[in-house]
Amino acid sequence: MAAPTSGSSAAAKPFDIVATYNDLLRSDPDLTMPIAAIEALVLLLTNSPSSTISETLDLLEKSTAHLKQSIPNPIGLSAGTDLFQRYLITTLQRPGQLGPAGDFNAIRAHLLSNGRLFIRRAKESRDKIAAFGRGFVRDGSTVLTNGGSRVVASLLQKAADEKGGPSAVRFNVIYVLSSAKGTGAHSDEPEGMETVRALRAKGVPVATIPESAVAYSMGKADTVIVGAEGVVENGGIVSRMGTYQIGLLAKAMGKPFYVVAESHKFVRLYPLSQYDLPIEQRVIDFKTEEDVADEAKQQQALSTDAAVAKAVKTADSADVVDFTPPHLISALITDSGVLTPSAVSEELIKIWF
Amino acid sequence: MLLLEILLTLGTTVVQYVGILVVVTAAYVKQQQQQSVSQRRERVSSPAPPTTSTSSSTSSSAEKVSNAPPDRLGTPPPSFDYTSPFIMATPVESSQPLAEMQSQQSSSSSPGAAAGANASAKPAKPQQSQPAKQQPQQQQSQSKGKDAAAAGGDGAALSPAELKKKAKAEKAARRARERAEREQSGGGAGGAAPVGGQSAAGGKKGASGPGGAGAGGKDASGAATPQKGGHQKQQPRRGSAQATGQPSAAELKKKQEEKNVSVFGHLYGQQRRTTIAGAGKEVHPAVLALGMQMRDYVVCGSSARCVATLLAFKRVIEAYTTPLGTSLARHLTTHLSHQITYLSTCRPLSISQGNAIRALKLAISSIDPSVPEATAKASLCDFIDSFIREKITVADQVIAGSAAQKIQDGDVIVTFAGSSIVKQTLLAAHKEGKQFRVSIIDSRPLFEGKNLARTLANAGLDVQYSLMNGISHAIKDATKVFLGAHAMTSNGRLYSRVGTALVAMSAKERAGGVEVPVIVCCETVKFTDRVALDSIVVNEIADADELVTVEPVQQLTGLPDPAAQPAVEPKKGGKASSAPVETSTAAQSKSSPLEDWKESANLQLLNIMYDVTPAEYVDMVVTEMGSLPPSAVPIVHRMSTNM
Repeated sequence: MAAPTSGSSAAAKPFDIVATYNDLLRSDPDLTMPIAAIEALVLLLTNSPSSTISETLDLLEKSTAHLKQSIPNPIGLSAGTDLFQRYLITTLQRPGQLGPAGDFNAIRAHLLSNGRLFIRRAKESRDKIAAFGRGFVRDGSTVLTNGGSRVVASLLQKAADEKGGPSAVRFNVIYVLSSAKGTGAHSDEPEGMETVRALRAKGVPVATIPESAVAYSMGKADTVIVGAEGVVENGGIVSRMGTYQIGLLAKAMGKPFYVVAESHKFVRLYPLSQYDLPIEQRVIDFKTEEDVADEAKQQQALSTDAAVAKAVKTADSADVVDFTPPHLISALITDSGVLTPSAVSEELIKIWF
Repeated sequence: MLLLEILLTLGTTVVQYVGILVVVTAAYVKQQQQQSVSQRRERVSSPAPPTTSTSSSTSSSAEKVSNAPPDRLGTPPPSFDYTSPFIMATPVESSQPLAEMQSQQSSSSSPGAAAGANASAKPAKPQQSQPAKQQPQQQQSQSKGKDAAAAGGDGAALSPAELKKKAKAEKAARRARERAEREQSGGGAGGAAPVGGQSAAGGKKGASGPGGAGAGGKDASGAATPQKGGHQKQQPRRGSAQATGQPSAAELKKKQEEKNVSVFGHLYGQQRRTTIAGAGKEVHPAVLALGMQMRDYVVCGSSARCVATLLAFKRVIEAYTTPLGTSLARHLTTHLSHQITYLSTCRPLSISQGNAIRALKLAISSIDPSVPEATAKASLCDFIDSFIREKITVADQVIAGSAAQKIQDGDVIVTFAGSSIVKQTLLAAHKEGKQFRVSIIDSRPLFEGKNLARTLANAGLDVQYSLMNGISHAIKDATKVFLGAHAMTSNGRLYSRVGTALVAMSAKERAGGVEVPVIVCCETVKFTDRVALDSIVVNEIADADELVTVEPVQQLTGLPDPAAQPAVEPKKGGKASSAPVETSTAAQSKSSPLEDWKESANLQLLNIMYDVTPAEYVDMVVTEMGSLPPSAVPIVHRMSTNM
């Protein structure tokens, strides 16, 4: 069975992990990067002809590296791939039927079914977090948030649910809209606009402010709740550009700063500063008039590729991230409970050892 | 004849009398002293002719002693026969030559090691002199006691003005004596220092005067040699005028206590062992050697001490045979605890040593009694090997590899003292082709950074070396701080060589700059479940005399010391044949203003070994299990001990 599949896939349509990953992200707006990565890897294993453990691991490693390289910001993604790899290894090392001694086809079937279970659970974790985090949104409070985090949105919507019911929370939201354009269906409007609409539909008063007004508005906010792309080992977060400054301002004004993140976003990464992230970001780009002129000339020369270049550029500016150090974070609301930043490393160590 | 006898035995006392009657110049006192010394030495050695009086034999043996210690780290040098106390205990012609030789030989030239080495040689000196020598000594002290009493009677009869004069003369005599001792480089002339009741009569000897120490040691171990271990308790108090007479012992103890810094009073406890004499017969020679090496900082650093201890214990286990009627699992533990007790008297055990010993004991106790001894021993040796490999050797490689990832091109790395793991990290990063600069901050008295600076510079790195005083300058263009650790406590604090906290804090609080990340490289074997809130409750106090020793300075000009003048004058005594100019310069360069700190009131020296850096000042702890925030230390410790 394995041999024919491999022959056909190699000949007809080699499995493209990057395309699969991008398709998955595009098709399901609720999907986070680590989950998309895991799902892509599961699909890869389903399609792959590997018949031994080491072959499987090798394939996994190679495609993970390939995926990481072809995505501009692999931090969120690597959380998923690392987790999946770790999971695979621990499963394979376990003694018994599914261990190294067992039948490999059974192992593979088990792995795949468990991978799907994992994905389902990860999707459910958002509800879990919303349940944990509801207590942080108090009656009569004002919440400041930013970005297009789906967990934050689900948390706020959960809090606003059952409008008029006994458990409904009356609160206001100050939504910081970044100048970067969103990537969803309405790609011309700022990211997060969808959440704003949804909240307004539920009767929650929402004020939208530009990033430059964060300091001005912070005085009116009671709590700050943000999402994260990745939670790093020291308890800090890697998140949408602009989160760090909100964190600094919240700290300066003594407002609690909460981070909402699923535990599969925990990354084995230890950045020491903004510039210590393992990605190349061209945020600070010094130019003289000459450089600008050169660039314009080049773009004119490549006018045929102009559309492509533009697309790349917008993707870049939407993807830039910054690092919020742990001492600015009051607590992390995750599906394994509400953690202090220092507890993150404990969770990570538990996963890894 | 009787008069001559008194003159011979109590030269200095007589000198003091003379001082009362005549206006005595310091030079005269010295001459007197010298004569009496040389005469007396003859007299002392006459009952036992082949003893110490010849300087050639002693100096050669001194060389023998100094040959051994500079062997850094790890395995005890085979050339040095530690089993024979006699080689160890050879009289040293002078503390200076030894110290000089040592500093020339050991590249690190740590003064602490040198001072320690000569101190360890000092008190052991009399062991070469035969027990026969004891008798005359006792006679001496008896007659001296009489004389001292007489002196006391005399003193009572004197007028206040005369008393004052007498005190002055005594002081002058004491100074002169000390100087004389220093010059004629104490060889065999330990006896030059008056023994017995003399110090009770007012002359307190210079704390670091070699003669004084020699005399003190002589009495203590002279008594100790025949009846093993009788006097051992007193010996560790080297350098002071202890053991000079029974009545003054309590007083001296009180005096010693006064010299302890009261805040750290609980840390003084017993002082480090200065000799292997008196160690239990169960203690293995390899452990004996290691103890001395650790004491003298020859084996220094938490990991190095841990590895060396384990290797020594491996030899202990190899040499061990289970006595009849016991089982290996039960008896070996007690056998090892003798070794451990000995080691801890040489220098308090490090956290890593403690953890390693705990693991070893656990391994021993889990051995099945039915297993044949040879197998059990082999498995224990395997355990030790794998422990060293897993917890230290490979762990170091992993740490160096992952910490080196944090070094980027253009970085300026600041580090403090000489951590071996930081050295490995920097070398690993250099090997990867990263372009960065290293700034080493060092401090007295151990100067551990010198070795690191040399190694890194030899490897081709760009190194800047400065002392603690220059920290604000060194930290100014730092981009990262790498620190080694002695231990990490359960509340995430870093327990490391004293000065580390200052470096970490300077980096964090650097005025007007971005925060500099402070990275600690530490194996998990150094984690402890203890909690440290400050550096006072738990710490280690080293001998304060290490602070006194000065580095030889090439001083060409300077004010002539009026007190040193007489020293330049040529001497007529037997010892005067050495070039006077040389001795004077040696004396000048070696004398430290703190030399007689034990005599001066209101002066205490504190030589603390470690300090505690609060967790807020540490950004990252790199361990073999990954990079952690300091708050994760207890979790990892729990996991690594449970596994």
